[in-house]
Amino acid sequence: MPDNVVVRDLCKRYGGTEAVGGVSFAVQAGEIFGLLGPNGAGKTTTLECLLGLREPDSGHLEVCGVDARRDPRTAKRKLGVALQSTALPDKITPREALRLFGSFYVDRIAPAALLERFALTAKADAPFDSLSGGQRQRLTLALAFVHAPEVVVLDEPTTGLDPQARRELHDEILRIKRDGKTVLLTTHDLAEAEQLCDRIAIIDRGRIVATGTPGELVARAQGKQSISLVTDRPLAAALWAGMAGAAEMSCVGATVSFRTADANASVAAVTALLAEHRVELIELHVRRASLEEIFLGLTRGGAAVTEATP
Amino acid sequence: MNGLGEHLKLSVRLHFRNKLALIYGYLFPLIFLVAFWVLYRHEKVPLLRHMGELLTVSVLGGACFGLPTSMVSERERGVWRRYRLTPLPTWAFVVSTAVARYLIVLSAGLLQLGLALAVGMTLPEHPLGLFVAFTFVSFALIGLGLVIATLADNVPAVQALGQCIFLPMLIIGGVAVQLASLPTWAQQLSAFFPGRYAVEAIQASVSGDGLAGATFSLPALALIGVAGCIAGTKLFRWDSAQRFATRSGKLWLITVFAAWAAVGVLAEWQTRVSARVAAEMAAAVAVAPISKEKPWLALTSKDVAQLNFRVPSDFGVVSPYAAPDDEATDYTKDEMDNVRRELPTWRPGLRGDDVQRVRNLLCVAAVPDAIQMPIERYLPPVVLQQLEDIYPRDQLIKILTWIVLHPDDGTIVDNIEALGVQGSAGDPSVVRERSYLYALKFIIRLTGRDRR
Repeated sequence: MPDNVVVRDLCKRYGGTEAVGGVSFAVQAGEIFGLLGPNGAGKTTTLECLLGLREPDSGHLEVCGVDARRDPRTAKRKLGVALQSTALPDKITPREALRLFGSFYVDRIAPAALLERFALTAKADAPFDSLSGGQRQRLTLALAFVHAPEVVVLDEPTTGLDPQARRELHDEILRIKRDGKTVLLTTHDLAEAEQLCDRIAIIDRGRIVATGTPGELVARAQGKQSISLVTDRPLAAALWAGMAGAAEMSCVGATVSFRTADANASVAAVTALLAEHRVELIELHVRRASLEEIFLGLTRGGAAVTEATP
Repeated sequence: MNGLGEHLKLSVRLHFRNKLALIYGYLFPLIFLVAFWVLYRHEKVPLLRHMGELLTVSVLGGACFGLPTSMVSERERGVWRRYRLTPLPTWAFVVSTAVARYLIVLSAGLLQLGLALAVGMTLPEHPLGLFVAFTFVSFALIGLGLVIATLADNVPAVQALGQCIFLPMLIIGGVAVQLASLPTWAQQLSAFFPGRYAVEAIQASVSGDGLAGATFSLPALALIGVAGCIAGTKLFRWDSAQRFATRSGKLWLITVFAAWAAVGVLAEWQTRVSARVAAEMAAAVAVAPISKEKPWLALTSKDVAQLNFRVPSDFGVVSPYAAPDDEATDYTKDEMDNVRRELPTWRPGLRGDDVQRVRNLLCVAAVPDAIQMPIERYLPPVVLQQLEDIYPRDQLIKILTWIVLHPDDGTIVDNIEALGVQGSAGDPSVVRERSYLYALKFIIRLTGRDRR
């Protein structure tokens, strides 16, 4: 599959502060690609440079084969964008907004069709300031589609939505993918990223610290298995502390949890220890590290780069 | 350019959905008009002399406040950021926004004109010229509005910047206060403000020589407008996060200052300031329609009857006239006695033909009124008595009628210090205007109209 979005060695400084320092990633045609990172990590700057809202200091930006720095107007014709930090005039109606934004492009979809697709027909002639958060978000998304773009960029699309609106928007994003479009989205929500994205890039302090599918990131994370257990009576914390291969040990009464790099060995050691002290095991859970745990690990205090891309 | 047209249409439509914008854009200009109407109610043709000022104030309000307020508030909310994600170029949004504002101020101007006509103003002398002049004025001031929008980081900053430009332009820029009323330094300074050229260009088409009378103003406005639009486009900011202080290309502002300075220097060089003041003075008395020419002796009672006898109240600020039972203070009585004693031998009252002599004697009432002295209301009866002592009643009525019909003829006297009343009227046009009003009031009394 060709790459519909290419970001290579992107650098951007604000005065003496480096916002983005050599970010590179590519989004293949037809995939949903998630850009994850904590606040101030550089994902918004990366996105804004790609969309032509900011001039990068250096780097290569490409949208559907078009050099976005040399020919931003052509690149913008291929992009449909829903940014969280944009708005519409208070008194504009969804129908007017769709007609207006459609008029900026040669090929456009009729407002009525978009109103229906994004469930806004009933509010077609209501002023923007009377719409609910979900309706506004759907309108923002509809505006990204007025010219049937090849690449859709969504900036934290579900922020502030109630669970129902959020689920509807997820369905819509998956529909975009089914329509063969490429989606680049940013989000804080790791569950959302895991549910929607084909691939993910985690960005921290202006650099990509990991890329890969959600499964690959989780599978390749080392030392992230989590073991928790409950016994019929508490065992001295000193005994647990001496167990080989355990990290981040926590003992609260008869409940114990820790992390391990080798789950098999740790489970064997636990059962041996309990048998030795004649303590009965009531519950035992072994689970993989979640994406959230990986994210926190990677974006905390200068973690090493984990490259999971095949 | 389908996008440009659609954005233009929508901008105008959204303006009419904004109640606050409607109040600022339409109600305020109408309030200004009513205020001017009341202020200059004694003028023979209502508002005719002030349409330049009124329309300029409307455009100035729409351009210096309406346009940048709307642009900056939308920028703060992220609307312009959304527009920037589209392939339409910057200039297209700037053009569409400016044209939309032009249509809005044009509609406000038409509303003002309609109301002015409804209260008795005559049709502008050059309607097409007025449209052209109004367009030039709008272009210049909208350019200025674009610059304010680029300078201001937020809406309060627009208000502050707008006031910094609006108020000086109104007060010492020849927009709300006529240049002739200003001190010389302010008259010179006004040459550097576009407001005075706006008033000049519009007024020339309303009651002057049309565009032929605006051969300097129109190019001056065009230059100021081009400079504003270039700087406004070059410095255009899509994003409120991008502060003006950190923006590159600030040198484009020099274009604006250079245009204002060039126009001002050229105006000074061509001594256009004094020319405008002279024109204002002439205009102040040229509002009365002139009847067909004939010597004053040939005037008939029909000519007298056709005069417009609308005059200010005797008890008002303009052309007051003491009632018979209104007793003056002792000091004023002494002054009046002195005037009464000196008036028969007062040289201007003896100089020239009959019309000029009466004109000079009318100044004895007009000058204290112009200066607003305590004696002002007591002198008109003294002057009328003196005139009746000199001329037979019929003859006096004809001379006064002639003066009313030809208020800008002859010369006037700007002080009556020889009669013991100190002070000088700085603005000769005011003395002419008050002489005209007292001539009418004398005719009213001489013909018994005050008793009807």
